[in-house]
Amino acid sequence: MSAYSMHNQDKTCWNCPAIDLAGMVDFRACGQSLQISKARSDDSDTYILARCKRNPGLGVYDPTTITFAECPEWIERPYGYLLRDMRVMILGIDGYLGWTLALWLGNLGIKVSGIDNYNRRNWVKERGAHTVVPISRMSERLHAATSVLGIDINFREIDIMDRARLAEFIDEVKPEAIVHYAECPSAPYSMIDAEHAILVQENNVLGTLGLLFIMRDLVPETSLIKLGTMGEYGTPLTGRPIFEGIFPADAILKWDNREWSLGGELTPRDPVSFYHVSKVQDTFNVYESCKYWWLRSYDVMQGVIYGIHTDQVAADERLRTRFDIDEWFGTVINRFVAQAVIGFPLSIYGAGEQLRGFIALEDAMQCMVRLIASPPDPGQYGVVNQMSGYCSIRSLAETVAEIGSQEFGLTVRIQRVENPRVEADIHPFEPIYDNLPKEFAFQPKVSPEMEIYRMFELLTQPSIKQRIEEKKHLILPRTWWSGQKKPVETLEVIDEVEYAPRAKVYLS
Amino acid sequence: MPPELKFTSANFQTEVIGSDVPVMVDFWASWCLPCKAIEPILSELAEDYKGKVKIGKINVDQNRKIASQCGIQGLPTFILFSSGRVIDRRTGSQSKSQLKEMLNRVS
Ligand SMILES: NC(=O)c1ccc[n+]([C@@H]2O[C@H](COP(=O)([O-])OP(=O)(O)OC[C@H]3O[C@@H](n4cnc5c(N)ncnc54)[C@H](O)[C@@H]3O)[C@@H](O)[C@H]2O)c1
Repeated sequence: MSAYSMHNQDKTCWNCPAIDLAGMVDFRACGQSLQISKARSDDSDTYILARCKRNPGLGVYDPTTITFAECPEWIERPYGYLLRDMRVMILGIDGYLGWTLALWLGNLGIKVSGIDNYNRRNWVKERGAHTVVPISRMSERLHAATSVLGIDINFREIDIMDRARLAEFIDEVKPEAIVHYAECPSAPYSMIDAEHAILVQENNVLGTLGLLFIMRDLVPETSLIKLGTMGEYGTPLTGRPIFEGIFPADAILKWDNREWSLGGELTPRDPVSFYHVSKVQDTFNVYESCKYWWLRSYDVMQGVIYGIHTDQVAADERLRTRFDIDEWFGTVINRFVAQAVIGFPLSIYGAGEQLRGFIALEDAMQCMVRLIASPPDPGQYGVVNQMSGYCSIRSLAETVAEIGSQEFGLTVRIQRVENPRVEADIHPFEPIYDNLPKEFAFQPKVSPEMEIYRMFELLTQPSIKQRIEEKKHLILPRTWWSGQKKPVETLEVIDEVEYAPRAKVYLS
Repeated sequence: MPPELKFTSANFQTEVIGSDVPVMVDFWASWCLPCKAIEPILSELAEDYKGKVKIGKINVDQNRKIASQCGIQGLPTFILFSSGRVIDRRTGSQSKSQLKEMLNRVS
């Protein structure tokens, strides 16, 4: 095991979810609260102490003295030290990412639990769409996870809005990390009409707010890994770098011949739909909870995920994760590949020069384990921009077209259509995404070409191709940010590419 | 980057008050975002002022008595000591040039 992968070796019990803090646990040891604690006791030098829940024999001790590398409960795993039999709860475990992560974590020996209320299945059904890669019922998924991979998942059907039941489950499991995916992930869905906008904001914002209170009361030492999105930032037309949620100290504001360091302030957000607004509201709610109650959280500003592959989901048909291609729930690269498979022109909105950050499914899973392995400090609200690279939508379409033509002998066309969204088609974009590589030793392993190739392999299977054909009328958008409901017009057919098939190169 | 200098209640008297060279102390806490943001700048300055000013940090939650004795009311607070006396103190995020301005008072 290389020392490089042990990014978390120097963290101590201070960061470990398996301790109870003891002693004078009021972290606001400054300002008013310091005056109060001084008035209360002569010996105001009481340290914050710890008791280990896994090894009570240690008694009460200074939590900064034992490192993960020294603790026998933290064991070396591929993505850093991990707590032995660590308990991780995934909210939204039936989803595209949630299910994939459950198997990924289970495979690492983590004790996985999770909840879902099948909102996503119902929303997709409501739109008349379906996942083109068929997925099994939860009971069958759980059964297959056990029989094929030997992974037992503790699942409960719970709506995150049902605080009493969620609290009961959290209290029972006492998770050491909570990954929160259980939100509606769709911008266009939130723009359909008032009912949908309200549903998305209620579900996402209030669901998360309730969770924060439950964590305060039941598991304050547990780290919360909360999913945000790069779309929270928008694409500021000033062209300033898109920092990781918080300004660095060398970002200076100059005004009136004076200067200030902006270090530590949240950067401005400029969300691009009512869905994205819900994520911004979440950001503030999580940030405040860290401030008021010393919860610990990483807010993951995730780029667009693409792909279908991990070794676990590919192990059996019943273990596959969902894959949507409709205008509401399909994400861009996944949609392009599906379009190419059925000879539907890859549809670029507007100029196609929009720049976005992306990350392959497998790489996203790797990031999540690294974040779980290296919990934040008490009270720390940390932010990571999770992406492995960025490029224009048009160049993505071209990559998909090239692989589809060259490797799979498909005739792939690209078209520009009207953009139903309100967004800048051409804009500066300078995202910073250093935290994951620098602090958590994340290194992307999957190239876009490789994952696109794998997607073609799966989606060209006749039964899946048939399922794409069945829903092809739901590919082009009809949901306009203006509120109109009308099909978008084609502006231009950019390209007609037809390559003779040649040797497979992408997986070699 | 030089090794990060950590002050505690145990070494504050010898390392800070009794130090031969001037000392800049960063009072910080893990929940304080500006305190986290400023870390890389402090490491740079510790390197730049090596031998002239000692730069280190002290966690206020873990060292309440010192925080109280120094009257810490907000974070981050930077206090510059020379021969055990307070030469300058500032509360709130500081730019690199503002911190240099402080350090240059004693070097
Ligand atoms: N897929 C991406 O490209 C992407 C990009 C950026 C951010 N994200 C974020 O990542 C998270 C997961 O995304 P995904 O693509 O897996 O979406 P998904 O819809 O497949 O997964 C979310 C899961 O949460 C469940 N859920 C929703 N509301 C719930 C509730 N009230 N109670 C219980 N369960 C509920 C859904 O049923 C679904 O299974 C979302 O928060 C999303 O916003 C995704």
